[in-house]
Amino acid sequence: MSGLQSLRLVRVSAVSGRRILAARVISFIAALAVGAIVLAACGFDPLHLGTQILKKSLGSRFGLEDLGLLLTPLILTGLAVTVMMKIGLWNIGADGQFYIGAFAATAIGLFVKGPEPAMLVLCFIAGAAGGALWILVPTLARAYGKVDEIITTLLLNFVALLLVYYVATGPWRDRTTGTVASTGRVPYEMPDFFGSLHWGFVIALIAPVLFGLLLRYTKWGYEIRLTGANPEAAHYAGIPVRRRMITIMLLSGAIAGLAGMLEVTGTVHRLQGGISNNYGYLGVMVAVLARGSPVGVIAGAALMAIILNAGIILQTQGLTTAAVLALTGLIMMFTAVADQFAHYRLVRALPVPAAATAAG
Amino acid sequence: MELITGILTTAVLAGGVLALAALGEVLAERVGVFNLGVEGLMALGGVTGIIAVTLYPNPFFGFAMALLVGLGFGALFALATVVFRANQVLCGLALTMLGSGLAVTIGKGYSGMPAKATFEKIIVPYLSDLPILGRAFFSQNILVYLIYLIIPAVISFVLFRTRHGMNVRAVGENPAAADSAGIPVTLIRFCYVTIGAALGAGAGAYLTLAFVPSWSDGVVAGRGWIAVALVIFAGYRPFGAVFGALLFGVITAIGYVGQARNWPISPTFLSMLPYLGTMLAMILPVFLWRRLRLGFTAPAGLGVPFFRDER
Repeated sequence: MSGLQSLRLVRVSAVSGRRILAARVISFIAALAVGAIVLAACGFDPLHLGTQILKKSLGSRFGLEDLGLLLTPLILTGLAVTVMMKIGLWNIGADGQFYIGAFAATAIGLFVKGPEPAMLVLCFIAGAAGGALWILVPTLARAYGKVDEIITTLLLNFVALLLVYYVATGPWRDRTTGTVASTGRVPYEMPDFFGSLHWGFVIALIAPVLFGLLLRYTKWGYEIRLTGANPEAAHYAGIPVRRRMITIMLLSGAIAGLAGMLEVTGTVHRLQGGISNNYGYLGVMVAVLARGSPVGVIAGAALMAIILNAGIILQTQGLTTAAVLALTGLIMMFTAVADQFAHYRLVRALPVPAAATAAG
Repeated sequence: MELITGILTTAVLAGGVLALAALGEVLAERVGVFNLGVEGLMALGGVTGIIAVTLYPNPFFGFAMALLVGLGFGALFALATVVFRANQVLCGLALTMLGSGLAVTIGKGYSGMPAKATFEKIIVPYLSDLPILGRAFFSQNILVYLIYLIIPAVISFVLFRTRHGMNVRAVGENPAAADSAGIPVTLIRFCYVTIGAALGAGAGAYLTLAFVPSWSDGVVAGRGWIAVALVIFAGYRPFGAVFGALLFGVITAIGYVGQARNWPISPTFLSMLPYLGTMLAMILPVFLWRRLRLGFTAPAGLGVPFFRDER
């Protein structure tokens, strides 16, 4: 009998977090290896670049500050996508909601005068409201017409981008400095607490924890989870599925809009064309890395921030943003595949009885 | 009259990009795979077309090279989503990032240069003399005829008139049932996703060899996403995709005409038209003609990876 045993791959539907993590680490290394080979082929020294990245991002105070500044929007856009994943929907429009959040906060900053703390609160509300408003049409279309939210949220990204580009180069253009295409400086600033790192970072850290707690310990959270797991069962259990869906989608938009508001008042201090820096799209990756866990979003965003920071350092070494974008895409695809590989297990297959073989 | 002819001519030309990409996406979605990587594939195809005609100035060569690159990256995407069954939304976004990033990196030296060879107009005798429609429909490059007529006709015939097509649709509707009927689900998915991706890259080459015609960073400008949206609007039908693409060609053309004639509206807002138009086109029919849309639902297996051993 022992001689007939053979090895084969079997898919298991439930996998431990540790297996997934291991698969991801391997895939990440594999993606880096592919990237390193390509870079070496283009005449760069991957080893030198690698040490530069480690030294400049994790080895210095400035590096850590930058990391925090990158983490803030990534956590929030990642959370925005995660929130919607909880009821089984995709928000690919976090980029647009981010833009409109930034737009709304800038509008308050440029045109409303008042004491700074009150104005910051107003910016906060405006940013969240802007983001929620931007997802309103996809939300209603999804809730009342089952219109695919992936595409509608995504199309609005382009509209938001064009709108921000228009005001930043047109009516709101900074006429005093006459520099690049951006608005004037927004006078209200999130206070800093660690070098250039502002309190928005703390808000970003609290948000996923808060959402996680709401999800786990409130009736509302329970209803959301049930709706996400099985909308029909939720409906028959008397949960107002449509209303929960609308709340969640608007909440998702508000969180992404908040990220835009914090970017304006905390980091960039003005509205400009490329202000979203793809944070909305990267949020999708963060959310998938987090696998639906609100608190996991922080870890996913940390990894993404390190990659982005590495990209900025690579740019100083002569690589383009586009090359970094390509590398990010590569890592993303490897990660997606790794999550599946984690489901496979090498098992010793027992020899099938002769009768069963004949029947099969 | 002249205005309408002008708009229609540009519309047909502009719509071709969307039509070809949407036809590719129809193939992928018909077998149950949601490919969000079209935008990246178009960028890759566009840059490949330009580089290829710089090396060897023949538009057909450029187009063929783009198709090949599309096949390659399509196979990569299919490997991840169909063979390894990785998350389709994530892989699609990854492909868009990878493709757009690579295209800009490779195309840096070619930015802004006019294409060394482009597709020339083929004037159909007699028909091109028709009032209004003649110039728009019968005085275009060869790809236009291919995209609007021949490719959709071939796809329609294969999908809806052959036994093989029935198998293909079964794979998209119910992979488990198709599998028990002995249809090679994974193989069919792999092939159709890959061919669809090649068409997506071809659309990029059409953009840089026939429509614009040059390469620059951002030339694709979200057309890949509009193509994905068009497929839903088209009810997953090849000729629906072509018709929808023409409609969006018209919206795009109105924007161009507006800019050329200095309409008192910012070009930025005119640029928003295709995106807003696509969204309206997705939403309005659902609410206006509910019954009409009944037969236009997505393949039931769309976006769902098929695991044979979990059946």
